[in-house]
Amino acid sequence: MALVSLFFVLPVLFTVWMSLHKWPLLGAPAWIGLGNYTRMFTDARFLNTLGFTAHYTLVVTIAIFAVAFPLAIFVEKQRPLVSAYRTIIFLPVVVGLASASLLWVWLANVDSGLFSPLFQMLGLTSGRINLLAKFDTAFLTIIVMVVWKIAGFTMIILLTGLQAIPTELTEAARIDGAGRWQRFRHLTLPLMRRTMALALILSVTGSILAFDQFYIMTSGGPQNKMISVVYYIFNQSFVSFNLGYGAALSIALLVILVTLSVLQLWLLKVGDERP
Amino acid sequence: MLKKLMAATALISAGMISTASAETITMWVRSGIGDSSKEVVKAYNAGHENKVELTEVPFAELVQKYATAIAGGQAPDALSLDLIYTPAFAAAGQLEDLSDWAKALPYFNSLSPSHVKLGTYQDKIYGLPLSVETSIFAWNKDLYKKAGLDPEKAPKTWEEITANAEKIRALGGDTYGFYFSGGGCGGCMIFTFTPLVWGAGADILSADSKTATLDTPEMRKAVDIYRNMVKKDLVPAGAASDNGVNFLSFTNGKIGQQSIGAFAIGTLVTQHPEINFGVTLIPGVDGKPSSFAGGDNFVVTKGTPKLAEVKEFLEYTYSMEGQKIMAKYGSLPTRGDIANEVLEGLDPRLKVGIDAIAVAKTPYTLQFNDLINSANGPWATFTNAAIYGDDVDGAFSNAQAEMQSIIDAGQ
Repeated sequence: MALVSLFFVLPVLFTVWMSLHKWPLLGAPAWIGLGNYTRMFTDARFLNTLGFTAHYTLVVTIAIFAVAFPLAIFVEKQRPLVSAYRTIIFLPVVVGLASASLLWVWLANVDSGLFSPLFQMLGLTSGRINLLAKFDTAFLTIIVMVVWKIAGFTMIILLTGLQAIPTELTEAARIDGAGRWQRFRHLTLPLMRRTMALALILSVTGSILAFDQFYIMTSGGPQNKMISVVYYIFNQSFVSFNLGYGAALSIALLVILVTLSVLQLWLLKVGDERP
Repeated sequence: MLKKLMAATALISAGMISTASAETITMWVRSGIGDSSKEVVKAYNAGHENKVELTEVPFAELVQKYATAIAGGQAPDALSLDLIYTPAFAAAGQLEDLSDWAKALPYFNSLSPSHVKLGTYQDKIYGLPLSVETSIFAWNKDLYKKAGLDPEKAPKTWEEITANAEKIRALGGDTYGFYFSGGGCGGCMIFTFTPLVWGAGADILSADSKTATLDTPEMRKAVDIYRNMVKKDLVPAGAASDNGVNFLSFTNGKIGQQSIGAFAIGTLVTQHPEINFGVTLIPGVDGKPSSFAGGDNFVVTKGTPKLAEVKEFLEYTYSMEGQKIMAKYGSLPTRGDIANEVLEGLDPRLKVGIDAIAVAKTPYTLQFNDLINSANGPWATFTNAAIYGDDVDGAFSNAQAEMQSIIDAGQ
């Protein structure tokens, strides 16, 4: 409890205190009450970053689940080399996000990288395309990178959920004549609810807090279209030195995250004891 | 054993005491401005008892790193600070007042005036010139020759530059006619691209820096010149996402023409002797040349205990020996009174850099980082959107509005 208050509660309280000031990095802070909070509602750039972060979170979460769920089912069954598959799919997870971003910047480099010359050789594009120069291709590159990096982790979480389902239940359903899809829909999915909730919350929270990939891979993207909320907070705090406004934005983000997490838990009825 | 250990400890302590009289001052310098500061520090360390420990910081991060270091009490004794930022740090009260000492220097009046002007805040001097550079236009003479152009004839207009670029691109392969860092590098573009409109008499900020004046016929014309070259495939595709990392692409020998800095002359001469290049002033959109007078001011962190040592180092860089080393690596002389003597026997192309000073401008605004240099600021966004985007009018109106709102918020 002492540790929790020292490393969590106190910093949050201090952030709240800072957010009520005009707090430049150099010089003396001045009390402005709720000024920072009213400012963010008229800050078009902040609202843009919220929109982009929501868009990114939606796309990347769907993409991660679309890849991780089939993978989890694939590596759940006992088959030859299954642990080798699990390891290979999990490997990118142990690479740091910043290192992975740097690696992919190089892979996506138009002159010395891998993708552009490869696509050209395969005849997919007529010339070399600079993947990071246009929003759509740069966004796609980042999504693919994040899925490559994160899907293994989500897969492992889903795998534990799958393995927790007692085989007796599946056997019983099979004897009752339930087909493959019926078993998945009415047995596997409901029993995986808690695991799914965990994976979903981790994925959504992680995506909303995304920063490294945008900072490193595109420096905010072609024409600043890829600035996530955290990137904007970083810019306000450490580039423009408005620490007070940055703190207020952080508190707003905290509120958003808590709301979303509660909402997801409620939607997936995790508190509900009925199976 | 114990005796040996004690003896060794005593020896080490003795060694520490004997070097204690020589101080080491810490100093930061930004990357991407050539080797002049590094070389002058090397020469100073070789001939003096006091030492300078130099740390190179990526140019795009220097301001926030220094500001956070000050806030955290970890700041270096001295800093080679982009002169543009001197007013902002002086206004925040973080720099040592050097007025009395500076005014006592016998050559004070011949120090680069634009540096001293930006180093002065409320009649006190906080920054003194360390390195001076101007932006200039360079062309690769070997590629000119190969493309059937006269390698000794400097282009005077952008029509000429575009035509030359087309001939150089016609050589094929990965040889290109022109290069610029177009991926949202505000610093690179203010340095190399605004001279196009300055030469024609326009500017992106009003004289008092309180109004954004981006949308001018001159700027539209300048954007068209660059767009046209991109459309004709005269610029490598990588330029669209180059955030400044590959600014000196000219050094790879496959770029026919590029606007670079005078620092790069030193880098090219000393590190890429194989590149045979010429330099001239950057033409404006109507042919009248202009340039950006930049460089670094030497500033001292407020409250450093090593003020005397720091001053000794700065006096060394102002000596004939120091100035010669700086010039050899591309920094133009900071002392006007001995400039000719310093440049004697050095590469004659450096003289173009000096000539540029006469037509050069330096913007004076406390919000330079937010407006221009920040990778996510309106100017950086504008350069990429206007040159590479599909909606030029939108790029102009967005950037104009955002610049004005940043200026207004800072009042």
